[in-house]
Amino acid sequence: MGGLTTSLLIGVQGLEASQAALDATSNNIANSNTPGYTREVPQLSSNAETDIDGTISGGGVTLDGLQSVRDELLNLQIQQQTSQQSSADTESSSLSQIQSLFSTSGDDLATTLTAFSSSLQQLSASPSSSSAQQGVLAAGQNLAESFNSTASGLVSAQSSANQQVTQTVSQINTLSQQIAQLNTEIAQTVPAGQDGGTLQDQRDQLVQQLSQLTSVSVTQSSTGEVITTGSGTPLVMGGQSFNLQTATGTNGMQQVLDSNGNNITASITGGQLGGAIQVRDTTLPGYLNSLNTLASQFATAFNSAQAQGTDSNGNAGQAFFTVPSGTAGAAAGISVALTSGSQIAISSDGSAGSNGNVANLSAALTNTLPSGQTPANAYANLVFAVGNDASNASAQSTAIGQSLLQLTNQQSSVSGVSLDEETTNLIRFQTAYEAAARIISTVQALSTVTLDMGSDQSY
Amino acid sequence: MRVNPNLVPDVLADLNQSQTTLNAALQEVSTGKSVNQPSDNPAAAAAMVENTIETGNLDQYTQNISSVLSTVQTADSALSNVVSSLTQAVSLGTQGANGTNSTTDLQSLAEQVQGILTDVVNQANTSYGGTYLFGGTASTQPPYTADASSSSGYTYNGNNDTNSVAVGDQTSVDINMPGSQLFSNATTNVLGSLSTLVSALQSGNSSTISSATNAVSSAINYVNQQRVFYGNAETQLNSQESYLQQETVSLTSQASSLVDVNMTQAATELTQAETANSAALAAAAKVLPDSLINYLGIPS
Repeated sequence: MGGLTTSLLIGVQGLEASQAALDATSNNIANSNTPGYTREVPQLSSNAETDIDGTISGGGVTLDGLQSVRDELLNLQIQQQTSQQSSADTESSSLSQIQSLFSTSGDDLATTLTAFSSSLQQLSASPSSSSAQQGVLAAGQNLAESFNSTASGLVSAQSSANQQVTQTVSQINTLSQQIAQLNTEIAQTVPAGQDGGTLQDQRDQLVQQLSQLTSVSVTQSSTGEVITTGSGTPLVMGGQSFNLQTATGTNGMQQVLDSNGNNITASITGGQLGGAIQVRDTTLPGYLNSLNTLASQFATAFNSAQAQGTDSNGNAGQAFFTVPSGTAGAAAGISVALTSGSQIAISSDGSAGSNGNVANLSAALTNTLPSGQTPANAYANLVFAVGNDASNASAQSTAIGQSLLQLTNQQSSVSGVSLDEETTNLIRFQTAYEAAARIISTVQALSTVTLDMGSDQSY
Repeated sequence: MRVNPNLVPDVLADLNQSQTTLNAALQEVSTGKSVNQPSDNPAAAAAMVENTIETGNLDQYTQNISSVLSTVQTADSALSNVVSSLTQAVSLGTQGANGTNSTTDLQSLAEQVQGILTDVVNQANTSYGGTYLFGGTASTQPPYTADASSSSGYTYNGNNDTNSVAVGDQTSVDINMPGSQLFSNATTNVLGSLSTLVSALQSGNSSTISSATNAVSSAINYVNQQRVFYGNAETQLNSQESYLQQETVSLTSQASSLVDVNMTQAATELTQAETANSAALAAAAKVLPDSLINYLGIPS
């Protein structure tokens, strides 16, 4: 039966609906700066009309709930790009630290190599001058120290990348556990197939953080999200999380193991973890290897030039440099073996004034080493490699940053809270609320009129 | 399509970008270098390694030339003194051979020639910076010392070796001639010819004096021929020095084009970056606070 009561009930529903819409608006405004928050819109639907004895009346309005506005595909793309960018960032920051080792600074290899070469040329002009001999010895020591400090700079960058691996793995585990927890909560509170609302916002935010640490692949299952690393090692399956572990490998570096103890270090890509592993296991060892090869081959060449001559004491030339046998650790371990300038094998004929062997010593600096490069070439190539890698990593980070910004813009245009929009909604819902309230007061007035009918009493 | 309501990340990225450009421009202007670390220009940084080493070597070659040049000039002037001493000995010998001299005169001539011999030996023992110039590579001791058992009265302590000094990557110059070749050569023995002249003058035999004088004359020719070696070395060193100067200039200009900043361009870029940065900041300040709320009155 249509009647005043129906109008009153519909009016109350209108009030409630407007109230809920105002709540949603207010919540959106309150969370406009909350990271990861997805704007919510109230889902209103009109109730079915009722037809009682031919009298049709509207059924009013029902609030079905709040719907978060999100685009899952964009989220996936953002996760992928985030992994790539944070990997490039990690490489770039590590490389920019070691770059200073290769900049012209006064004790870099280019400078000490130059000084060593010059000191030999000076010795060629005054072979019997003890100050020229001492000059060669001191320049040789500086050169060896340059090798040492460059190698130790590279090794310390490597060990800080190694620390980063351990820390990142423990962060990944924390995030996996939190995501599994949220999966459980969502499964318990949200009916399957429906949007998880703010719980899902939180989970997306955590997955986003996880993708900063390593590349992940996210799929949906009946029990919630399934998250694996880019190479398929499970991290989260519904309410269960699988911790990664670290263990010291044969090379002394921390290896990443999956929950079953299998070594997955080599397959990890992307994110801080991927970047740190790339720098630690590929980039820096490459530089160290070039540096060690240079140190080892140069020392060997110089020592054999030294052996061709006679020193100022009339003895056959002894090794100038001590260098560890084998290439590994050559740059870190190289040192000058001679203790006095008089031990430099200057003479080719045994007499003290001869400079005949200096040409051989100098030639060790300009001739090609077994690597096929002169020492200067080999070092220049190393400088190029370091500069090029650093510049590529930073260019890559910038480029991905641009596309990531585009994607975030797109995501924000879908899910972000617009204060203008919310303000407009505020006015809209305010007006609707006022109108619904007016209905109630109208019905009240009409009820009074109805009750007053046929009575002299006024209600 | 809904417009992105959140301008902050965009604005921040733009501000970041313009700040990075500004920093880079500022660093270029303040250091005067466009390559401050290898990643700024890897190829230029690598080329600079070789440039630095080559420049260091050229500097040292240039220093070598000036020190070697003094050595060579000292040796040359010692030989020039030897030639004038020998010339004097020839005139004394000629005077002794004319048959009109008394024994006393001849004795005095012999003593003068003996003095010249001592002079020549002193010249042969010339040292420069602690290095004896005519001892071959045995240059730490005087090449000639008195020795009564030797026919010339002096014995050679040096060897027959020579030193050469690098004055370019592929260029080296021989800088000494051993005394064994200059003064006590088996065929033309300078010291021997003088000591023979002394004995001849003491003997008073005109023909012996005359042939001994001729031997000294040919020694003069011989020494003059050998002096060409030092003349050539000087010429070679001087021309190498001017070559090195050109090389240094070209290396410096290479270094400059590799890593130095074009100041006009850098200053312009700095100004542009400053303008862009201020514009970005001004735009951010203007755009960010704007919202519909600013234009609606508070509902009464």
